[in-house]
Amino acid sequence: MEPWRYDTAQDLNQPLIDRLRRFPREPAMLVYGVRLLAALLLRGWLRVYHRLRIVGREHLPTDRSFVLVANHASHLDALCLLAVLPLRKLHRAFPAAAEDYFFVSVPRLILSAVVINALPFDRHIDPQHSLNLCRQLLAHPGNILVIFPEGTRSVTGEIDRFKLGVGLVLAGTPYPVVPCYLHGTSAAWPKGAWFPKPRRVQVTIGQPRAYAHLSPDKESAIQICQELRDAVLALASDTAPSVITSQEGEAS
Amino acid sequence: MSPQTALASDVFRFYVVIAAGLLIAAGTVLVVLRWGLHKDVDHAWQSYRGWLIMVPVVLLGIFLGRVVTIIFFTTLALWGFSEYARATGLYREWVMTGAVYIGIIAVGATALVPDPTTGVSGWYGLFIALPVYMIAVLLVIPIARNRAQGQLQVLALAIVGFVYFGWMFGHLAFLANARHAYSYLFYLLFAVELNDVAAYTCGKLMGRRQFRSNISPNKTWEGSLGALVVALILPWVLYFTFPDFQARDYILAGLIVGIGGQLGDLAISVIKRDIGIKDMGTAIPGHGGILDRIDSLIYVAPLFLHVVRYFHDLY
Repeated sequence: MEPWRYDTAQDLNQPLIDRLRRFPREPAMLVYGVRLLAALLLRGWLRVYHRLRIVGREHLPTDRSFVLVANHASHLDALCLLAVLPLRKLHRAFPAAAEDYFFVSVPRLILSAVVINALPFDRHIDPQHSLNLCRQLLAHPGNILVIFPEGTRSVTGEIDRFKLGVGLVLAGTPYPVVPCYLHGTSAAWPKGAWFPKPRRVQVTIGQPRAYAHLSPDKESAIQICQELRDAVLALASDTAPSVITSQEGEAS
Repeated sequence: MSPQTALASDVFRFYVVIAAGLLIAAGTVLVVLRWGLHKDVDHAWQSYRGWLIMVPVVLLGIFLGRVVTIIFFTTLALWGFSEYARATGLYREWVMTGAVYIGIIAVGATALVPDPTTGVSGWYGLFIALPVYMIAVLLVIPIARNRAQGQLQVLALAIVGFVYFGWMFGHLAFLANARHAYSYLFYLLFAVELNDVAAYTCGKLMGRRQFRSNISPNKTWEGSLGALVVALILPWVLYFTFPDFQARDYILAGLIVGIGGQLGDLAISVIKRDIGIKDMGTAIPGHGGILDRIDSLIYVAPLFLHVVRYFHDLY
């Protein structure tokens, strides 16, 4: 009789905190439960406190792996983008988060790994390794990678230059990328504020696009980043007036 | 069981004093060895720190009463099963794993609720019948999901996981319903852990012949027999904590712990050896996983409950 093969957890001998630090993380029912509960609470909070509005949800290609990119000015951004996705994708959506910021202290680690389901992105020492993680993630059908290509929260309100990482991940791959524009998050919870203000927030989701036809090199990455930034800017100019009018309409 | 009865109970106070005394004594020995004689006691120190946390937690749980005790042991069972599921890979089958979690919670619930016919706390009839219902439910899962490939392994792992780590260990929670709950629970916890320590110490001092060479190479015949002798003596020493025990019961209690404790330890070792891992987890620093600590209890608790129930009735 052939002996059974046991598929033991890779992180069996690691303490809980180290298990949260590694990536990809092993599935854990308790973590999934807490994440689901947190997601429901956060979605409720965004709907009620920030009047979250979602435009263009039909553009999300949720039947396969894809990348979400958006402008970044607030801690609310990742929460809003996660709230845009269907709840069944909760454990399959991974916002890339700075390892040096979100995976250091234990409370922040628990928040990023359990609630946000973040992918620890190494901005400084070995970004190549992190980009490989992103590619592996997308190779698994049905995963969603959330990236803020500016690399950090903008304080000026302008959309900064997109870093090349997202282009390098996408060039020559069939995965669709969906540009999004987040409106109002910086006013609601700017960098440095300790608690969000009850301001309106809107997520505008653009048309998906793919870059399978480009060669996987730096030139393509530059081109992709340029195109994606333009797409986000276009969404910004399309949607912002309507939001502003509706807010003014309510104020008067 | 309640905080009031705990404070009024001689048995409870006795075991609190014993636990505190042993922790202080062991701590003093370690301090003398470390700073007095400059011995390397890092490993023992790690293990001691584990005890420093475990002992007060267990005492507090039992002090707070029947409900907390049952919830506490059910939580341990859930935790233990999750380690087993991670070690065997069963946890990747989340429907099956989830069903076993719910089943273990049901074990705790049947220990908690009163018997609908007699009104005494703990629905014994359903508690004993639970594995039947649980196995019936588990068998439906592959059918409902229309799967056959590899399902025998998944089912077998789930059934062992539920019956052994959930239901058999759940007998410890059920003992909280007994009239002499403090006597039984504290005796089991104390005797089983002492048995482990005795096996280790006797093995270190006199161990020559390997006991089960393919399962646990560190265990020796001398260690196991030494532990059995200690286990057989212990109930006679603790005679005043058992209000209704006779000579026969002392012998049986000693045999259950002395033999069952070793077998429980070896049973987990078989599982670990087959999988090819050393510890079941990292829950308790210096001890390994939860299962590495409660392995002997899982085997002993149901035997003890049924022997006591046969001769004395629980209530």
